[in-house]
Amino acid sequence: MSMATRLFLSNDTSARAAGAGPVADAWSDRPEVQLIRTSSRGAFFLEPMVERDSPDGRLAWFNVTPQDLPLILSGTGGTPVRSIPFLAQQTRFTFADFGETEPLALDEYQARGGLQGLETALRRTPDAIIEELRVSQLRGRGGAAFPVWNKWKVAQQAKADEKYVVANADEGDAGTYCDRMILEGDPFRLLEGMLICARAIGANRGYVYCRQEYPAAAATLRAAIHKADEAELLDLDGEFFPIEVVEGAGSYVCGEETALLESLEGKRGVVRARPPYPAQAGLFGRPTIVSNVLTFATIPNILSRGGAWHAALGTEQSRGTMALQLGGRVKQPGLVEVSFGLSLRQVLDQFGGGMAPGARFKAVQVGGPLGSLFPASQLDIPICYEAFAEAGAVLGHGGIVVYDHQTDMVDLARHFMAFTAHESCGKCTPCRIGSVRGREILERIQAGSGTVDDLVLLADLGETMKVASLCALGGRAPYPVLTAIEHFPAEFRNRLRT
Amino acid sequence: MQKQVNEILAQARSEPPNILQALLVLQEKLGHVPLEAVPEIAHTLGTTTAQVAGVLSYYPDLRVTAPGRHLIRICMGESCFANGCGRLLREVQDRLRIDMGETAAGGKVTLDTMSCAGNCAVSPTVIIDRDLYGRVLPSQLDAMLERYK
Ligand SMILES: Cc1cc2nc3c(=O)[nH]c(=O)nc-3n(C[C@H](O)[C@H](O)[C@H](O)COP(=O)(O)O)c2cc1C
Ligand code: SF4
Ligand code: FES
Repeated sequence: MSMATRLFLSNDTSARAAGAGPVADAWSDRPEVQLIRTSSRGAFFLEPMVERDSPDGRLAWFNVTPQDLPLILSGTGGTPVRSIPFLAQQTRFTFADFGETEPLALDEYQARGGLQGLETALRRTPDAIIEELRVSQLRGRGGAAFPVWNKWKVAQQAKADEKYVVANADEGDAGTYCDRMILEGDPFRLLEGMLICARAIGANRGYVYCRQEYPAAAATLRAAIHKADEAELLDLDGEFFPIEVVEGAGSYVCGEETALLESLEGKRGVVRARPPYPAQAGLFGRPTIVSNVLTFATIPNILSRGGAWHAALGTEQSRGTMALQLGGRVKQPGLVEVSFGLSLRQVLDQFGGGMAPGARFKAVQVGGPLGSLFPASQLDIPICYEAFAEAGAVLGHGGIVVYDHQTDMVDLARHFMAFTAHESCGKCTPCRIGSVRGREILERIQAGSGTVDDLVLLADLGETMKVASLCALGGRAPYPVLTAIEHFPAEFRNRLRT
Repeated sequence: MQKQVNEILAQARSEPPNILQALLVLQEKLGHVPLEAVPEIAHTLGTTTAQVAGVLSYYPDLRVTAPGRHLIRICMGESCFANGCGRLLREVQDRLRIDMGETAAGGKVTLDTMSCAGNCAVSPTVIIDRDLYGRVLPSQLDAMLERYK
């Protein structure tokens, strides 16, 4: 009897949405196939992608349907994965094993270098761990880009009976999905990062606040925690370090760290005034590190390879790699991990592959619902924190959404303000009232009854929200709207009442 | 109802009591959180009705009315917006003759929007109950909705 051929197919939510489910169903009882469900490489335009081993490394077949099985088994028509330009041009560290491994195979994780960061951390003093992060110059990937070591130092030095580590898996920015990929595809990497943090600050307990929209992520993570517990990994200096997954309930602002902590305590997810910062007084008033999933997942490599390795990648103030997430009307949407410094245009051309068939470029939004719009003339901006800060823009969590020629900028601007009005936590007036007024003005303009004064009012309102809001929801919400007006003024003027 | 609420909450007890998680468990079991149960919930958790009502009204995913047998959610996030979710929403509304947040006559389906399913690279996204659909074209809607009759 001949051996069954091992075929690899991603079980990632987006791979399934692209059709991996029917492929798996159709092949599951075929004796000639041993189907292994992996994480996704993030080349979602090629999913469902089926791979098999060859002397040339993995071979891949793209956009597979159940009928493609004979072709794949015969070994014809496959492309060596290492020659897929979308992947070959990336600099993958955090996502290096994606598409290769099974998410819950702890032995495989370990065989590929997993847990070495934690082992290093367990041999070091807390001060030495934090020093390694200082050298690495890692900044948080959740949006605010704050130096990670700095927060850890504050939490480490705080005196308290309990301390907590919280992974922010709320991933609220529309257009982003790298946290979801990590949670579903490489959950031990997140847990390892959290354990390293716990060891550095002396924490007793960990939480992962996962958005309700990610059921597969929460389930995978719970299974991973169970496996880690069985393998006695949740053990820090002889103390059990429990990690619990807590699900949210559909509120965007609960991704903001203080609102998240309120929500974790079971209350309304309203933003707290800072200071005190969570690192000083967070969950239940105890020192708490709240960090993004991608941030935690970046840390194991920093410990195992050294901070200097990380600091050698990227630009002056943006060290390491960034997980960019391409979406919207590009031809090749997917996950792109590259060192900081490429221009936005390079990312869109080299990885995005230009526009989807029939679509012409109009604008690109970087940084989620609070990020600015860039027209074709501004694509040479380098992808790094310093260049974006100088342009008054944000990289946020790395979401990049491309809009095509059919996009109605007035409708898009109204959409943004309606989103803010809906999601405002209500704590401060500029955001609570301003976003509703902003939405009303844009609805008026869209209906054809707006005036020039309305545009002036909208600009004033935007400036007020920018300077007077308590958190970045109100403070950044005007940016996509005002940049839409700035770059496409005619579209707004043409809709005004004459 | 009082007994049922108590039984469910007894299984979800935590220290200190967590209002949001208690409400999520109730919704999981009952399909929604009945408003008339709020005093009982508050009593069981050892908190005030105002606290419970406050949390209940704050979170978009908590429902105070029973949803239809099927819940259709259309993603309105930016990647889906760029890929035509507006048209999808209009077409679903036309077919079911309901507005956002409404339940169709006969209690069959509830229509809702969401702000991102993390499926942006395979958008636009429609979620029906626990099934997630990507790259949805308006022409596929009829066949898709047919499955949830
Ligand atoms: C409105 C709003 C929403 C946010 N949503 C998220 C989110 O979904 N995920 C996240 O990691 N950070 C989010 N943040 C940033 C957090 O407040 C916080 O800065 C971050 O979790 C810290 O982690 P980091 O240091 O690893 O970046 C949000 C901030 C604001 C103002
Ligand atoms: S800016 Fe908006 S979301 Fe932030 S605290 Fe003020 S009201 Fe709440
Ligand atoms: S924007 Fe719709 S899935 Fe992300």
